[in-house]
Amino acid sequence: MELHLQLRKQQGEFTLELDLQASGERIGIFGPSGSGKSTLVSCLAGLITPDSGQILLDGQPIFDSSRRINLPSHQRRIALVFQQHGLFPHLTVRKNLLYGYQRCPVTERRIELAEVAEVLEITDLLGQMPETLSGGQSQRVALGRAILASPRLLLMDEPLSALDDDLRYRIIPYLNLVSERFRIPFVFISHSLVEMRLMADQVAVLEKGQLAGVVVPEELARQRMGQSSTGYINLLELGIPQEQQGLLAFPWAGRELLLSGGAGTESGTFELSSKDIILCKRHPDAISARNLLPCMVRSLFESGKKTGIELDCNGSTLVAEVVPAAAQELQITPGSTVWAAIKASAFRRL
Amino acid sequence: MLLDPADLQAIWLTVRLAAIVTVILLLVGTPVAWWLARTHSWAKGPLGAMVALPLVLPPSVLGFYLLLAMGPNGPLGWLTTKLGVGPLPFTFWGLVLASVFYSLPFMVQPLQNSFEAIGERPLQVAATLGASPLNAFFTVALPLAKPGFLTASIMTFAHTVGEFGVVLMIGGNIPGVTRVASVQIYDHVEALEYGQAHRLAAVMLIFSFLVLLGMYAWKPRPQKG
Repeated sequence: MELHLQLRKQQGEFTLELDLQASGERIGIFGPSGSGKSTLVSCLAGLITPDSGQILLDGQPIFDSSRRINLPSHQRRIALVFQQHGLFPHLTVRKNLLYGYQRCPVTERRIELAEVAEVLEITDLLGQMPETLSGGQSQRVALGRAILASPRLLLMDEPLSALDDDLRYRIIPYLNLVSERFRIPFVFISHSLVEMRLMADQVAVLEKGQLAGVVVPEELARQRMGQSSTGYINLLELGIPQEQQGLLAFPWAGRELLLSGGAGTESGTFELSSKDIILCKRHPDAISARNLLPCMVRSLFESGKKTGIELDCNGSTLVAEVVPAAAQELQITPGSTVWAAIKASAFRRL
Repeated sequence: MLLDPADLQAIWLTVRLAAIVTVILLLVGTPVAWWLARTHSWAKGPLGAMVALPLVLPPSVLGFYLLLAMGPNGPLGWLTTKLGVGPLPFTFWGLVLASVFYSLPFMVQPLQNSFEAIGERPLQVAATLGASPLNAFFTVALPLAKPGFLTASIMTFAHTVGEFGVVLMIGGNIPGVTRVASVQIYDHVEALEYGQAHRLAAVMLIFSFLVLLGMYAWKPRPQKG
């Protein structure tokens, strides 16, 4: 998918002014609230009209002020999943799902109800009314409804923000699965860096209504490490654990990581902040942190007032952060070896 | 027999008038209410005020202006004469037209409120799923506003049944043509037929109470958006 936006939209005191070119199947739009993300989404979906500029989707203009082109929403075939699911309360789940499907030209229909319902695990809900669904179920139905319209592009405007933390990350696999399985490119809008890294290949960063740059999400996370209160979030895929001295031993990178109980006994993705990794020059004889991993320093990067250190841990990557003085004291240079100490309680399941 | 034939005729005429006015106002009031609920135009204020005027105007004032407009020298009278219908005052259809103006706010305001309560989001969702504005109106806005339509229709019907001043100004008092129940009661009282006035008045009272009771007792199932 090729997206080319060049537009200007004034709303009261706020002005969105962008010139953005992005291509790929998973595009992210990242920025704090008030940066213009939602205005941009509304312009793309045709819910508001830019003051000037043009929007090209795969080379085709859906808006062009100089040529007086402004395709109405219902002809753009750009589906939208909102923060609030927006299911029609007077229709059953099945009728909600089919709303866009029935309005999609027969020749353009590529996706069938049964398949989507199966992938999203909502087959049992088809006869129910929306008011009987939980938040996660509603959001899955809303996603299914958007997909069944066989859109050229799927916009997801903070689709996870209204959900509880643990639910949020259970929806993400569904989002990725449907776009991959049904080959629908999407634009994912969020203010969460972790969501960006899980959902996007390329991220347009908005600040105060302007484009601050287009980067890969990993790069963005490293840039933001120094100023973020949570540091850089390492995302670790851990295998099925075994109990060991009251802790859980998860296989990772050919070794074991010890996590405190409550981490759950299934495999999964876990967060580990760069702030929660302590680096030691030599093996500390005894230490309270339950994980002590020998690592090789791969590279260093600056981020704000912090130095980020990319570690090679048996072939897997960890990012730790230290203040520059500590980096000097530890004599950290690419190729040197260090010990990374991590407490068993520092990991959090996504 | 509790009511004499003239009373029954008046009741039947009243019901027919109220039913026709309700149907016309459903057709006319819905687009007006929709526009008022959705527009950001400067004209929203003035138009909204005009729609609400019959709520505060004495029926005689409204009736007086309508009488002038429908008379042979008024614009409406000129039009109806040209069309071969003749002037409308003192006809049933003149009464219908006057009642449409008189009951307009009772249709428009509940509808406008329920359209506003739906908000923009469901219609935006419908649009991004390929529904044209008209299609979205019929498949999303209309079903969601169903309780509003019911309230508005009942209010309009009941209010038209209860009108008196406008009828006197426009329709006069012609049996079977413009003599509705409220006028019939007035006639009975004028003729000192208190017994008949009592019976017809009781019918009106019970009808009005039952309508309001039904409306207050009936609670639509709240629908979460």
